[in-house]
Amino acid sequence: MEKLTALCLALLLPAGAASARTLLLKGGTVHTVSHGTLTPGDVLVRDGRIAAVAAQVDEPADQTIDLAGLHLYPGLISAATELGLVEIKGVRASVDVRETGEFTPEIESWTAVNPDSELIPVSRANGITHFVPIPAGNLISGTSGLLAARGWTIEDMTLRKRTAMHLFWPDHALRIPGPEADPSSKIKPLDEQSRARAEKVRTIDQFFNDAEAWEKRPAGSPVVPAWEAMLPVVRGEIPLMIHAQGLREIRAALKWTATHPRLRMILEGGKDAWMVAAELAQRKIPVIYSEVFTLPSQDSDAYDVQFRAPAVLQQAGVIVAIGGGLDGDNASGQRNLPYIAAQAAAFGFTPEAALASITLIPAQLHGVGDLLGSIDVGKDASLFTATGDILDIRSRVKQLWISGEEQSLATRHTRLAERYRARPKAN
Amino acid sequence: MLKKNRFPLILPGLCGLALIIAIPLFSADQLRPPGSRPLEAGVHALTGAHLVLSPGHELDKGNIIIRDGRITAVGVDAAVPADARVHDMSGTVIYAGFIDAQVSFSKKPGGGKDKEEDAASRFSRSLTSGAGAGMGFPGAPSIAGGSGSNSTIISQRRMSREYAPDAEALESLRAEGFTAANVVPDRGVIRGTSTFATLASGDPDEAILRPDTFQHIALAVPREQAGDGGRSPQAYPGSLMGVIAVVRQTFFDTQFQAADLAHFAANPNARPRPVVNASLEALLPAARKTMPVLFEPGSVLLVDRAMQLSRELGLQPVLLATGQEWRRPDMVRTGVPFIVPVDFPEAVKMPEEDDWVGMPTDQLRNWDQAPGNPALLRREGQEIALTTYGLGKPDRFRSNVRLAIARGLSENDAIAALTTIPAKICGVADQMGEIGPGKLAQLTVVENGRYFDEKARVRSVWIEGREFLPPIKEEPKKPDEAKKEAAKADPAKPEKPDPKKEKEALRNQLTAAPAQQDRGPLLAPKAVFIKSATIWTSGPQGRLENASLLIVDGKIKAVGNIPATGVPADAQVIDRPGIHVTPGLIDCHSHSMILGGVNEGTLPSTAMVRIADVVNSETETIHQQLAGGLTATNLLHGSANPIGGQNCVIKLRDGASPEGLKVAGAPGGIKFALGENVKQSNWGDAFRNRFPQTRMGVPAFHANRFTAAKQYAEALAKQQREGGPPVRRDLELEAISEIIRGERLIHCHSYRQDEILVFLRVMESFGVRVGTLQHILEGYKVADEIAKHGAGASCFSDWWAYKLEVYDAIPQAGSIMRERGVMVSFNSDSSDHARRMNFEAAKAVKYGGTPEDEALKFVTLNPAKQLGIDRMVGSLEVGKDGDFAVWSGHPFDTMSVCQETWIEGKQYFQIDAARRRATARQTERQALIAKAKTLAGDTEESGDKAKAQDKFFRRALEDRQGHLCIDCCLDHEMPWKN
Repeated sequence: MEKLTALCLALLLPAGAASARTLLLKGGTVHTVSHGTLTPGDVLVRDGRIAAVAAQVDEPADQTIDLAGLHLYPGLISAATELGLVEIKGVRASVDVRETGEFTPEIESWTAVNPDSELIPVSRANGITHFVPIPAGNLISGTSGLLAARGWTIEDMTLRKRTAMHLFWPDHALRIPGPEADPSSKIKPLDEQSRARAEKVRTIDQFFNDAEAWEKRPAGSPVVPAWEAMLPVVRGEIPLMIHAQGLREIRAALKWTATHPRLRMILEGGKDAWMVAAELAQRKIPVIYSEVFTLPSQDSDAYDVQFRAPAVLQQAGVIVAIGGGLDGDNASGQRNLPYIAAQAAAFGFTPEAALASITLIPAQLHGVGDLLGSIDVGKDASLFTATGDILDIRSRVKQLWISGEEQSLATRHTRLAERYRARPKAN
Repeated sequence: MLKKNRFPLILPGLCGLALIIAIPLFSADQLRPPGSRPLEAGVHALTGAHLVLSPGHELDKGNIIIRDGRITAVGVDAAVPADARVHDMSGTVIYAGFIDAQVSFSKKPGGGKDKEEDAASRFSRSLTSGAGAGMGFPGAPSIAGGSGSNSTIISQRRMSREYAPDAEALESLRAEGFTAANVVPDRGVIRGTSTFATLASGDPDEAILRPDTFQHIALAVPREQAGDGGRSPQAYPGSLMGVIAVVRQTFFDTQFQAADLAHFAANPNARPRPVVNASLEALLPAARKTMPVLFEPGSVLLVDRAMQLSRELGLQPVLLATGQEWRRPDMVRTGVPFIVPVDFPEAVKMPEEDDWVGMPTDQLRNWDQAPGNPALLRREGQEIALTTYGLGKPDRFRSNVRLAIARGLSENDAIAALTTIPAKICGVADQMGEIGPGKLAQLTVVENGRYFDEKARVRSVWIEGREFLPPIKEEPKKPDEAKKEAAKADPAKPEKPDPKKEKEALRNQLTAAPAQQDRGPLLAPKAVFIKSATIWTSGPQGRLENASLLIVDGKIKAVGNIPATGVPADAQVIDRPGIHVTPGLIDCHSHSMILGGVNEGTLPSTAMVRIADVVNSETETIHQQLAGGLTATNLLHGSANPIGGQNCVIKLRDGASPEGLKVAGAPGGIKFALGENVKQSNWGDAFRNRFPQTRMGVPAFHANRFTAAKQYAEALAKQQREGGPPVRRDLELEAISEIIRGERLIHCHSYRQDEILVFLRVMESFGVRVGTLQHILEGYKVADEIAKHGAGASCFSDWWAYKLEVYDAIPQAGSIMRERGVMVSFNSDSSDHARRMNFEAAKAVKYGGTPEDEALKFVTLNPAKQLGIDRMVGSLEVGKDGDFAVWSGHPFDTMSVCQETWIEGKQYFQIDAARRRATARQTERQALIAKAKTLAGDTEESGDKAKAQDKFFRRALEDRQGHLCIDCCLDHEMPWKN
C-alpha cells in the first residue's frame, strides 16, 4: 500500500511540482498587452501565476529559460468558437454544436467539450491557451464556458462556467426569388415576412420580461431550471452575447436591448457593425468581430470593406475582439485566429489592438480579465513564445505554458508529418 | 403557305382594279348551313385615316380597300367600291397590324393534346438517353428526367397541334393592337416548334399561317419541381453547362441519325437496322438551317454563347433579348435579330427603411437600366421586334414601350419592331407587316393620337379583313361627376406640379452608371519600368534585391540590373521604397467565375460538359481576387462525380468578355474526383443508388469509361479507314479519348492514400499520366508514388477535419511532397482564399519549413507548370507575360498589402483607384436607392403588377456571389435573400 502511494506521488509530483516551482523567462521581447512591450524583459512565474514582470528580474528560480531572440505573449483566447464541441464537421455523430428549441438557457457549453479532441492541441500549437465554446441555437441557446486548452477532464479544463448567455438574433433578411426562381415556389409577401420577424423579436422580449418577473417570485416557489439560468443575465451579472451579422439584425438588437437597461450586451459576428459604430461606442457595447474574411455583401462595396471594419470600429471607440466566426470550419481553423486579426491590422486596425483583440479583450468580455489576457503580476501564467510577431504567419510557437505548466506542442499533424517524413523511400 | 385558302381565286398578284368589281365565286364551304351566321360580304373601305404604311412612310387621309381578307388598294384617291361597307376612319391612325413574335399561351400540362405529347416524349426519352450521356448509367436518371411533359428534349412538340388559345388571351392581345402572333412552346431545353397564327377568334386551325416557325432552345436548367410527375432535381442536365452540352450533343445526334439512315437506305441488308428517334427527326430542319432556331439565352453572356453554338452547329439563330443587354453592350452585336420583351422590373416598397440595405446594387442597376435595352440594341445596330412576352397580362405593353421610347428608342424603330421586323423574322413579310395591296388585311386602328401617345387607345384591329372591337368597358362617368372633376381642375387656380408627371420624368431618365465604366485596365502603357524593388522572380534568378523589371508591349524585356539607357522614355515608372514584386499569383483550383452551377453532378461521368461554356466575366469576384495579386486561375468543375467536366484556365483581365478572359494556348483539362463526394456520402438519403457508392466502385467506373473511350476511338478510326456505317459522335467519350491521347490534363480531386494510388494505377493501365491531384490531403503518405507517376499535387495549405476523409490532412503535406520530388502548388477552392494566396504559401514556410522562394512558387510557377502555361506565366523571366503584383512589403508578411496588379503590362488593380471606384459605386448606389424609394410601388394596379415587382428582386445569373464553400460536392442553392 505504501509502495502504491509512493508510486502515485511519483506520478503526480511532476505536474504538481511544475506549478510549485518558480520559472524565470529571461531576455525575451515581452508583449504584455496591458502595458506595452519590454525589449527585452523578464517574467517570473511562481505557483502558476505571474510573480514579476520587469526589464530585469534577478530572483533565483528553479528553472530559468533564456528567451533571447524570442517573443513572449500572453496565451491567445478564442472568444467565440465551436472548438471542443465538434471533431469532424461532416460526421454528425461528432458534432455537438447546436441544440434544438428556441429557449434553452439552461444549456451549458462546457459540458460537451471533448478533452481528447485532436483539434484542441492543433489550436494550442499556435498559441491558443483558452477558448470559449458557444452553444449554437435558434434564439436563446444557453451559456458558454471558458476552458483551458489542456486538462485530463472537462472539470480540469473549465476555468469559468456560464461566462455569457447567448442569443442568436433572428434573421431579418427578406426571402426573394433567385436567378432562375421556380415560378411555382411560394415566397411570402414582404409585409408578411416583415410582420413575422417583428413577432420573433416580440417573442424574445416576452421571454426576458417573464425572466425578470421570475426574479421577483416568492422564495420556496418550485424551481424551473430555464428561469434560474436566466437570472444572472437579467441581473446583469453575466453579459448577453447577441449573435447578429446584418445591419437590420444589429439595429433591431440595439433597439431591443435599449429597453432592457440591465442587460450587458456583447455583439458577436457583427458583419455590418461598423455602420453603427458610433452607437456601439456610445453605449459601450463591445464587438467580437468575426467577418474580416467574409466577402463584401454588395458589389458596390470596396473590396476591403470587411478587412477595414475592425479599424472603423476601433476609431469610433468600440471595444473590439476578433473571432473566427461560428460557422463553416472555424473549429479546425482556430490556429488562424491571429491571422484574422493581422488582416485587420494591415487595413488600419492598430497592431496593439489586433493583439489585444485575441488576448486581453476576450478575457475581459468573459469576466476573466483579472486572470488572463495580459502579462501582469498576479495573473495566470498562460504564456507562449514565438520566433517572431505572432500576427505573422511565418512565426513559430516554440513553448507554451498554461497556468505555469509547459504544454506539449505536438499535434496529430506533427505526429503524422514525422511518421511519413520517416517513411523509407518507396521503390 | 396558307394552311387553308379560303379565297382560292383571289391571288395576290391579280388584285387589280378589274377584279375588284368582279363578283367572287363562293366555294361550297363558304355557304354555311342554315342556323349559322352567314359569311359577310367581306368588302370594306376604311376612309379618311392617317395611314402609317410602313415605318417612315405615312399617308394623311388615305383609304384602304379590303376585299375578302386582303388589301386591294391603298391611297388618298383609292376608289371606294360600290359593294364596300364604308367605315369612316377620320381622326384615327392606322398601322399595319401589330405582330408579337413570342407569345406563350401556356396551359397546365395534362390537357387532351398533352397526353399524346407525353407518349411521344416517353418514346423519345427511351432513345435519347444517349444524347449527352453516352449511355445510361446505373442509378442515373436519363436526360429526359421525369415525366414526358417535363422532359428536356421535346423538339418534336409542335405548337400548331396545340394551338387553342382561350378567348380572353386573344382579346387582351388584340386590345394592345396585336393582330398576329408567333405562339411558342415554353418548357424543356429543346422545346419544339412555334406556330404563327393570326389572333382571330374562331377555328384555331384556320388562324395558323405557318405551322412551324422556329425551333426553340432555352439555355436554362428546367426548373420544374420534383414530385407529382415533375422533373427530378437529379435529372441530367442539372447545370447550365450541362444544358449547353445537351444541345450540342443532340444536334450531333441529329446529323448522325440522318447519315445513318442514308447509309441504311443504301445498305438495307448488310448492317444493323438503325434506330429512329422522333425528337432528332424533328430537329433536322433546324440542323439543316431550313428552320431558324430561337434561342432564349437568359443572360447576356449566353447571347454570345448562343451565337457560338449556332456557328459550331450550323444553325440560323434568332435571339430572345434577355433584359440584361446593358451589362455588356459589346456582346449584343450579333448581326441576328432580337425579339425584345418589355417586361421591365418595377420598384417595390420595402417593409422598412433598413431593408434597402439588403437590396443588391446589381438589381437596382438592372431595374434602372432595363427600359434602355431596346434602344441599346438599336444603337448597336441590331434589328428588334417587340413582344409582350414576360408581362403576364399584356396591358402594360404600351406604357412600357413608351418608357423604352423615353430612353431613346425612336418611334419609327418601335413601329418597325411591331410590324415589318417581326413579319420578317417570322417569315411572313410577304403577307403582312406593311399596309399595301396584296397584303393580308391586318390593321391596327388607333384613336386619340398615335399609338405611343399617352392618351391614345386602340379602337379596333382588323384580322384578315374582319374587324375586332375591344370589349366594352365600364360606362363613361355620369355628367355630374364629370362636372365635379372639372371643378377640381379649376384653371383659375395656379397649377401644381403633377407628382405623377414628375415620377414619370424620373423613371424616364437613367441614373445608373454604364456597367463597364469602371472596369478594364486602369493603365495600358507601352512599357512599365519598376526601378528598384525586391523582385521574387520564381525563376532561375531567384530573389533579387534592389532590382529592376522592364516590361515592353506586355512582355518581360529585362529583369535585374537594367541600365537607364535601356528604358523607353515613355515607360510607366513604379518607384516606391520598400516594395516587393512577385509574379502574378496563380490559383490552380477555383470555382469563382462560373455561371449557372459548378457541378453537373447528375451523372457519374459528365466529361462532355465544359466550364468554357459558362465563364462569368461579370462577377465582382474578379476585382476582389485581383486585389490579392491573383492574375490567373483554373476554373474547375465540381467534385460531384468520378469524371467531371472540362476546365477552363483564365486570366483576370477584368472587363474582358468570357472569351477575352481565356488563356489562349492553355492545354485542355478535365476534373475528376474520388472519395466521399463521388460516392455521395454526404448528399443525404435520397442519393443511394447512383454508381459508385463505394471507393471500390470508383476505379471500376474509371476503367469502364476509359475502355469505352478506347473502343470509341478504335471504332472511329476503323470507320475512317474502312468505311461502313457512320459512328455516332459522343462528346463524353471524345473528351476521355483526348485524355488517353495525352491531349487533356486530368485534375483529380483526391483525398485518401488508397484511392490516390489506385487511381494512379488505373490511369497508368491506360497509359495516362495524371496532370494534377487536387487537394490531395493524404498525398504526403504516398509522395514517392506520386513523384514516380509524375503527377503534380495541388493542395490546401491547412484545411482539415471538415469531413472524415480529411482527418489526416496536415499543413506539412505540401512541404513533404515537395521534399520527395513532387511538383506542388497551393490552391484556394474558395473566392475568399483566392484573395490571399500569398498568405497560404507562407504556411508552407511555417509548418513545413519550405524555403520562402520555393513556397512562393507554390502559388506562381508551380501552378503554371501544372496547368501547362509556364511558358507564358508563373515567373518573372524575359519573354514571359508581364503579369505581376506589387506589394507594400514582404509578400508573406501579414502586414503587407497588394498595391498593384498587372496583367500583360496592363494595370488591372491599384489600391487608390480601387478606393475611388468603391466611393463612386457607393454614390451611385445611394442615388439608385433614393430613386427606387421615390418610385416604389407607385404604378397603377394594371396588368401583372406582381410579376413586374417580382422582377425587381430577381437576381441575375452573373451576380452570384463567389464560391465560398471549400470542397462542396453540390451547389447548395442558398435561399435568395434581400
